Amino acid sequence: MNTKQYFSMALKSIAMATSITAASLSFASTLTVSSPQDPGSWDPIDTFLINWASVSTNIYDGLTYRGPDLKLQPGLATSWQQLDNGTRIRFNLRQGVTFHNGEKFDASSVKFTFDRLMGDEGKKGPQRSNYAAIESVEVIDSNTVDFHLKAADPVLLTKLAGYGAMIVPPKYIQEKGEDFFNTHPVGTGPFKFVSYEPKVDIKLEAYDKHWGGAPKLSNLNYRFISEPSTAVAELQSGRVDLVIPPTIPIGMISTIEESPELDVVTTVSPSVYALRFNTKNGITKDERVRKALIYGVDRQAIIDSILGGQASAISSFQSPISFGNDPKMSPLPYDPAKAMQLLKAAGIKPGTKVQIDIRGNDSTFNEVTQAIASYLQIIGLNATIKPYETSVLINDIVPAGKTGEMFQQGWGGWTLDYDNTAYFMYHTGEKWNPYDSDPELDKLLESQRSLTDTKKREEILKSIANYTADRALEMPLYNLNAIFAVSKKVKGFVPVPDSRMRLNNVTVE
Amino acid sequence: MANFLVKRLLQAIFVLFAITLLVAFAIRLTGDPALMLTQGAGSVTEADLVLIREALGINKPFFAQYFEFIVGLFSFDFGRSFLGGTPVSDLISTSLPATLILAVSVMLISIVISIPLGIKAAVSKGKWADQTIRIVSLVGLSFPNFWLALMLVLVFSIWLQWLPPSGMYGFTSFLMPAFTMAIILTATNVRLVRSSMLETLQAQYIMVARAKGLSENTVLYKHALRNCAIPLITYFGLQFGGLLGGIVVIERVFNWPGLGSLAFDAVSGRDYPVLQAVITILSMLIVSVNLLVDIAYGLIDPRIRTE
Repeated sequence: MNTKQYFSMALKSIAMATSITAASLSFASTLTVSSPQDPGSWDPIDTFLINWASVSTNIYDGLTYRGPDLKLQPGLATSWQQLDNGTRIRFNLRQGVTFHNGEKFDASSVKFTFDRLMGDEGKKGPQRSNYAAIESVEVIDSNTVDFHLKAADPVLLTKLAGYGAMIVPPKYIQEKGEDFFNTHPVGTGPFKFVSYEPKVDIKLEAYDKHWGGAPKLSNLNYRFISEPSTAVAELQSGRVDLVIPPTIPIGMISTIEESPELDVVTTVSPSVYALRFNTKNGITKDERVRKALIYGVDRQAIIDSILGGQASAISSFQSPISFGNDPKMSPLPYDPAKAMQLLKAAGIKPGTKVQIDIRGNDSTFNEVTQAIASYLQIIGLNATIKPYETSVLINDIVPAGKTGEMFQQGWGGWTLDYDNTAYFMYHTGEKWNPYDSDPELDKLLESQRSLTDTKKREEILKSIANYTADRALEMPLYNLNAIFAVSKKVKGFVPVPDSRMRLNNVTVE
Repeated sequence: MANFLVKRLLQAIFVLFAITLLVAFAIRLTGDPALMLTQGAGSVTEADLVLIREALGINKPFFAQYFEFIVGLFSFDFGRSFLGGTPVSDLISTSLPATLILAVSVMLISIVISIPLGIKAAVSKGKWADQTIRIVSLVGLSFPNFWLALMLVLVFSIWLQWLPPSGMYGFTSFLMPAFTMAIILTATNVRLVRSSMLETLQAQYIMVARAKGLSENTVLYKHALRNCAIPLITYFGLQFGGLLGGIVVIERVFNWPGLGSLAFDAVSGRDYPVLQAVITILSMLIVSVNLLVDIAYGLIDPRIRTE
């Protein structure tokens, strides 16, 4: 065989390929989504991954529902009352709801779901601890259940809208078994499961009998693509209609915007970033030094240049849409002169070293930290950056209190309640708080947990935000946007802040 | 020959055993999977973690865990993935064929193209055909594989829209990942075949064959190629190991659901059972390819067979 023959063979195979692609062009009302991770199981109690939720929000319903506007609405429960100082919640359940397999939804399904979550099966997974406030679920009649709580949990109603609290079908699980359920999920949501191929894709189709009305799409497919450039290539070639976070890096936004068929849609997200301080050892033990470090870094300039404006400055360690955010607070201004004055007052000599521990694989944050290090250089400090492998930093270095003066912390609870951040960051003895112990702060944090009066609770959370900023417990950096890339063929898509997107009102042209 | 093979087989078994032990040990140094699973959770108590570790089976002593792994190995039971609880054998049984099909075709494409081109270059040494082949292969050699992959996607998926940019959806999906690796491998192999052939062509028996009046093709393919086959096969065998390593990158770029993608996710998720299984299987593949190479020596060279 000579070279010529090879080329003709190659050409022939390309021609064949073309005809196959042309034949498999898309169906009218199918939406294909690119998601960066396959959670491996579709059982609500098995995982914490947000990309579990971005799929499963379409398969399951919770007792409550929270959509893109973040307002709590009735889900499988039509109404609820908080009784006994918040230690008992009564839910009135929606009638006439069926699971995708035809099984009827009623009070026993709710009891089964939570008995399973809090029982042996739930113990094996990571979700149970989030619902630890639930003591038991009591069936009052087929359309009413009472939740008995060990202690009031002000965030519980929100938590019931997602993740481990999704209502599952008792008979189906008992008959088919736990393993089968992991890979063949059944719920009451607007889309029902069709097929799942691990690491490849999951396919759903419309469930016409959904209590909220039939979805506009007939099919909804998710493909698992972790590499951003691959996901965007799929989008550009028209084989994927929507790329969801966390996939698209900021640096890729301009490429996508250049394409006439594509749009970049962003929305504020729960993700916040900070450099937290070691308040126990070293120079950052001194509050003046911590404030000096904050004054010394121009955070807005970092947002505008490195983050391409896809973030906003924060004044406490929470997103502006978080419950407990105080809009009256404003970030400390960039003031290098004041920073140097504070450092001098604290007796810090020029050239003193500070170490910043970060996640090595987070390229955006790497750039941010380099900028921070140069700002610190300007005020006379010698900053060194120490990158760690992500899981080592967050599982081994931070909880053990082995960090340098500053360390990267990202946070973003889907519940968007400041309690879910502040308690874990600042309460004495928490895993994420290896250094600080402040009895006054502990008291504030504990006091709001038993309150059912939301107004009062919000006030306390705001005062916690102010308190932590006064003590300068961290250098609050920014709140990052959630970035979606979407084909212009897709209509009616509303970006969600928390990845829990329900796509029943979306259409594809 | 039989003796030689038995010795090689025993060596292979020892290598596999050592690798499994090393992998099982090393992966446990990376940290606690229970912490990994619960990192999104706010309030996780030590008691919660103990329950999760128990469910995962990582509370047992190391050698008990290792023993379970080895026993499972014989029945193709690698336990369950820590992420989602899918049996690892299910994951392997879909991703192993995906990787094999890619790796084997890349080898075949590369061998089929590089041998005739390499011979052509050797025969026309110094002439324009040789120069062209050498320059083109140098260019091919200089491509980083991920860059080449992205360029192919740009041209064939985005501009021409002929081929799907990623995934495993039939023959069309297969072309780009296979050719990305094959182009680079072929570039190396052409140079290898050329130099090996040049050396062989200077041997006296080639002169004798030509003097006998044999046709040029018979001289090249029957006499010369067979004689330079042994170093080539050794090299191709070694290459297969390297190829399996390089496939991780390519699988990721093309979202090819093979062992590389599986290993990548397992490393970042501290998924011990999956990673143990993938590495064990990859080493089995490499060891068996080396065994095949040894057997091939005997088939090609009668002197080894009769020794």
